[in-house]
Amino acid sequence: MSAQAKLYSLFADTLYKVCLKYSRTPEDAQDTLQDSFMVIFKDIKKFKHKGSFEGWAKRVTVNVALQKFRKKSSIRFDDLEESKIPEEKVFIDIEEKDISLNFLLSLIHKLPPQYQLIFNLYVLDEYSHKEISEILDISIGTSKSNLSRARQLLKKEINTMKKLQL
Amino acid sequence: MSKDIDKLFKDKFKESKTTAPTEAWPVIQAKLKMRRINRLIYTFSVLGFLGLISFMLFSTQTEKTLSKPLQKNTSLKNEVILKGKGVNDVNDVNDVNDVNVNKDKLPVSKPQEDSKKLYATITTEKESKNNMPLEKTSFFKEKFKDTVIEKQVKRIDSLVNSLDHLVDHLKDDLKKEKKKLIKKKDSIDVVNFNKEKRRRWNVIPVFGISNSGRLSDNVTTLGTTRAVTYPDKYFDDNKSSGLIASTYGFNVVFRATNRISIQTGIFSKELRFLTEGLFLSEFIPDVNPTNIIYNPGVEVRFSNTPDMVGSESVSLSQSIVYMEMPFELKYRMFGSSKFNTNLIGGFSFLYLNKNEIRAKSNLLSREIGKASNVLTTSTSLNIGLDIEYHLSKRLVLNSAVMYKKHYNTYKDYNNEYSPYNVGMHVGIGYKF
Repeated sequence: MSAQAKLYSLFADTLYKVCLKYSRTPEDAQDTLQDSFMVIFKDIKKFKHKGSFEGWAKRVTVNVALQKFRKKSSIRFDDLEESKIPEEKVFIDIEEKDISLNFLLSLIHKLPPQYQLIFNLYVLDEYSHKEISEILDISIGTSKSNLSRARQLLKKEINTMKKLQL
Repeated sequence: MSKDIDKLFKDKFKESKTTAPTEAWPVIQAKLKMRRINRLIYTFSVLGFLGLISFMLFSTQTEKTLSKPLQKNTSLKNEVILKGKGVNDVNDVNDVNDVNVNKDKLPVSKPQEDSKKLYATITTEKESKNNMPLEKTSFFKEKFKDTVIEKQVKRIDSLVNSLDHLVDHLKDDLKKEKKKLIKKKDSIDVVNFNKEKRRRWNVIPVFGISNSGRLSDNVTTLGTTRAVTYPDKYFDDNKSSGLIASTYGFNVVFRATNRISIQTGIFSKELRFLTEGLFLSEFIPDVNPTNIIYNPGVEVRFSNTPDMVGSESVSLSQSIVYMEMPFELKYRMFGSSKFNTNLIGGFSFLYLNKNEIRAKSNLLSREIGKASNVLTTSTSLNIGLDIEYHLSKRLVLNSAVMYKKHYNTYKDYNNEYSPYNVGMHVGIGYKF
């Protein structure tokens, strides 16, 4: 087994999960995964051993996914005044066992692209608002407001689904 | 139980496991292979180029280094040889008998050649006197030159071979990749087709233009009338041409499979022909020499030669309008979700709707009758190319170029004289 094959078998599943968040279909996610590994193999010398390799590989994958995401979707970020940005945390009544990863993925994919991006980056990939603002070339306030809207929409969607189930 | 929405998503994503698709790794492997091959090609190209440059430089260098010392040495050697024989004055060279020199072969005007010839004729003397095996050194230099060139040639040969091998390899890989992509594209198309199963029908009102013609030159609007009593009145030589006419109607398309659609519809289609170079004739024969059934009250006839000087020149415009019902198959050749190109093949039933002949001159334009030789029903064989552009999920812009060969158009002629029709139509269809 070559070193590249080993690397692939070690990280493919983790990175595929990252790809799924940013892709609308499993086929798109597979394409992103393939392109990400090509970049990883090409730029592996650039990995400076600061932090884990998995973290570096995830960042590469997120970058590739973002490039593809931007190509496919036209993104317009909502600008809200800082004062109008609602409270950070959003709570919801739900039994965790009732929900699956696929269900959550479908909820994310239902979000408008700008909310989807920021929610993925901030919540799931743990980027800071500052980092997001730099990556997406938006203000920190815009990042925060879009995240807040994303949370509200997700809450609304989950509640609707709950009602439908009842 | 109330839970923070961020935490809910984070936890679920962390604890859930996903498995990367098994097809991903072979694709990555193929891409890596391609990248390696590209690198190799690039490296070999650079090496080959450098090799060629160095070979060219080396060969010119070798030529210089091999030719210059030879000239210098030979002249020096002459001197040495002559001095060695105790001859101080060059003019006394004729007296040197023991040196094997043929003085007749030494033209005075070419000193370099002299020395070369001298070098060539002096053999044993040179070696024995100077202890300098000039022939041998030259031989070795030549040998060395040959081996260097041979080596370079061999190296270039091997580079070319390896490049050929790589190109073959690359071609194979690209072919495989293409096959895979086509398969993938087909499967995506099938998925899209299944998604769109609810919108299989498409109704397209179309409008178009067409031009008609006949493959045989000698059929005019009047037609050849071989069985008539006036053989001198043939119109075979009169110029006849098709005119642009309009087509309109609507198509109904049913998408049967991902690639094949069935198409029918109703059209009003006109064929127009013009026969020129006729003259009005006052002579009304008992037997009609043409294929025209004249309307009552039309008291003019036509000939292809003027009855008298200054006879009025006339052209006849024939209009045949059919109601057409096509039955065609459309095969999708290539395209995307927005754009499709289809090949069309099929046939049409044609029902004669209008049959009119007008006479046109500077003075008149009048319907004079109808053609007697046009059959009421006929058929045509249709082929064409169709382009679809999806404006939205429901609306499709459709454009087609069609060639239609008519059959059983005339009573008196075989299908060789039947017209053909080339046209283009456009329309916006509604899918449901």
